Amino acid sequence: MTTSTRARLEGLGLSASCVEVMQHLWDFLDEEITPDSARRLGAHMKECEHCRNYSDYQSCFFDALAKLKANLDAPSELRDKLASTLKREGCGCWDKARKS
Amino acid sequence: MTAATLATPELNGDLSAAGVAFDLSDTNGAATSRDTEFERDALPWLDDVYRFALSLTRDESDADDVVQETFLRAYRSWHTFIPGTDCRRWLFTICRNVFLRSRERQRPTVDLEDGEQDAVAAGSVYAAARERGYDDIYARLDLAPALRDAVDELAEPFRSAVILVDVEDMSYETAAQVMGVPIGTVRSRLFRGRRLLQERLLTVAEDMGFVTSAEAAR
Repeated sequence: MTTSTRARLEGLGLSASCVEVMQHLWDFLDEEITPDSARRLGAHMKECEHCRNYSDYQSCFFDALAKLKANLDAPSELRDKLASTLKREGCGCWDKARKS
Repeated sequence: MTAATLATPELNGDLSAAGVAFDLSDTNGAATSRDTEFERDALPWLDDVYRFALSLTRDESDADDVVQETFLRAYRSWHTFIPGTDCRRWLFTICRNVFLRSRERQRPTVDLEDGEQDAVAAGSVYAAARERGYDDIYARLDLAPALRDAVDELAEPFRSAVILVDVEDMSYETAAQVMGVPIGTVRSRLFRGRRLLQERLLTVAEDMGFVTSAEAAR
């Protein structure tokens, strides 16, 4: 992040720690951050209501995305077509492509 | 795209190159072993591969073709799968390659300087949502249809990153292996995709005439 961006954010009343949360919250929620950094961000969020609310907001967004996985299974017609394709290929387990 | 275009000379080429054609005349024992492993390790991921194919193609018929091609290719090339490794990742990689080849494209390259710019920009989106009293839209609105549309509208590299990490719950590293790009590139694409989605959903909420908690209390 550029110095001017950081200064602008801090000018909005966000502390340096809040800016760090903003930068790395997604890494934190994705569990793609080092344990030390996770501890530091976690400690700040425990104390900062703004960052906690922001974390809740992003978590709800992630939950909404994860729910897209539901009700989007392979259609039975596709399973039938794949079973036929595998059968032609000599696959012994072709019928397992169908939903049991 | 049609199934005919996918039942391809290219595939035959792959077979010859890999010597897989000889697998077809394997002993019964070897074939049975391959079938058993394929059933156990590959077929359970059919729904996941379909979702990924659908997110790539944005068309159910094309997704069907890509899925069939993916599993056919996987079955023919089963000897290249390393037992004990992540079969879903392997299938997703094949699926993405099938899709890209079907579009006769090279892997798209998107240069992004820094994912953190998007992360910070998402913070600004949140600030705007909060100012308008929309900071609880995810909890109060069923945004699934709008979110699905918004994901579909994302440009391909961003869409794949979001689908792999946020919908299919892959790590950055696994998604990077599927997409054939460095982890930092996945992160940049993911963050850009998330920011674009959040901006879009805020607009959708406004268009839907979303009533804020404060307004509802009046």
